Amino acid sequence: MAEAHNPLAQFEIKTLIPIHIGGVDASFTNSAAFMVASVVCVSALMILSVRSRALVPGRWQLLAELAYSFIAKMLTDTVGKEGRPYFPLVFSIFMFVLFGNMLGMLPYTFTYTSHLAVTFAMAAFVFVLVTVVAIAKHGMKFFSFFLPHGVPIAMAPLLIPIEIISYLSRPVSLSVRLFANMMAGHTLLKVLGGFVLPLGIFGVVPVLGLVAVSGLELLIAFLQAYIFTILTCIYINDAVHLH
Amino acid sequence: MGEPSEPQTGRDFERRLARARDRERAPEERSAHASPQSGMGLAYRIATELVAAVGVGGLIGYGIDRWLETRPWCMIVFTLLGFAAGMLNIFRITRGYGYAAGYRAQDETKSGDNAP
Repeated sequence: MAEAHNPLAQFEIKTLIPIHIGGVDASFTNSAAFMVASVVCVSALMILSVRSRALVPGRWQLLAELAYSFIAKMLTDTVGKEGRPYFPLVFSIFMFVLFGNMLGMLPYTFTYTSHLAVTFAMAAFVFVLVTVVAIAKHGMKFFSFFLPHGVPIAMAPLLIPIEIISYLSRPVSLSVRLFANMMAGHTLLKVLGGFVLPLGIFGVVPVLGLVAVSGLELLIAFLQAYIFTILTCIYINDAVHLH
Repeated sequence: MGEPSEPQTGRDFERRLARARDRERAPEERSAHASPQSGMGLAYRIATELVAAVGVGGLIGYGIDRWLETRPWCMIVFTLLGFAAGMLNIFRITRGYGYAAGYRAQDETKSGDNAP
């Protein structure tokens, strides 16, 4: 009973299929299972819904086309024409995060985006990719990035470390934001849920709260996926058009 | 299709095509202000920005301290620099400068009003 009320029990990683490769624990966990589930869901949505290729789309095809044009518009708005090659990456990130957040809203599911390891892996991938793209496109000019234009040279010893920290904090803030929002929301839901039964007839009050917070959580699940994606777009923009 | 009243001559088509392409390109004017979305999205971005920068600064300082055995001086200095970097990030976000280190908004480079 006690562990059922622990609001953090839902984030526990459980090994489903133990796999050890050369001393590395690469077990298939519940987190991995839900990642596979979301990839399957995204693939099914995108492949099955456009199979008919109707000129006038049905509901499912419309959903897929809306998702496509939403990300395509976001990318062209922030990066422009040069952003087109990055569309598959940005779209995959958006769908993966969105489905991770949304699947986590279903009862008895696991939210893999509530783990810092997962979100930081994604953010670090984006960060490394963007840095490599910037260096490949602009060469050594990339390092002029760290000294803002028009700054007196005497300020450089102070400003360059600040700019480097500011640049390095990108993947941290990107990953912490997503992970903290998902974890806080799910913990709040569980804590509120724990009040329902002990309060007896007054348990109606936390139930009403739960309804409201669930709605808010759905909004946050979408919003965080959106923020993660648009920041990826902004980073790509910075890398492609170095100012 | 947007302007059905216009005559469908060849030159007119070229012009409309050019205009449509311009609409699609021209991200530069918008990109500086495309980043702040809804108020809530902006709030979520800002909230983590300071924490992340301070954390990164502190970690870098800690790493240098372990390397050079100068505990605790580098950690203090870099945590303070992290605060500065966090404030700088927040300033850039709220000004709609985008995000990047060394990033300047397009209109600023054109008019040069912020140049010293």
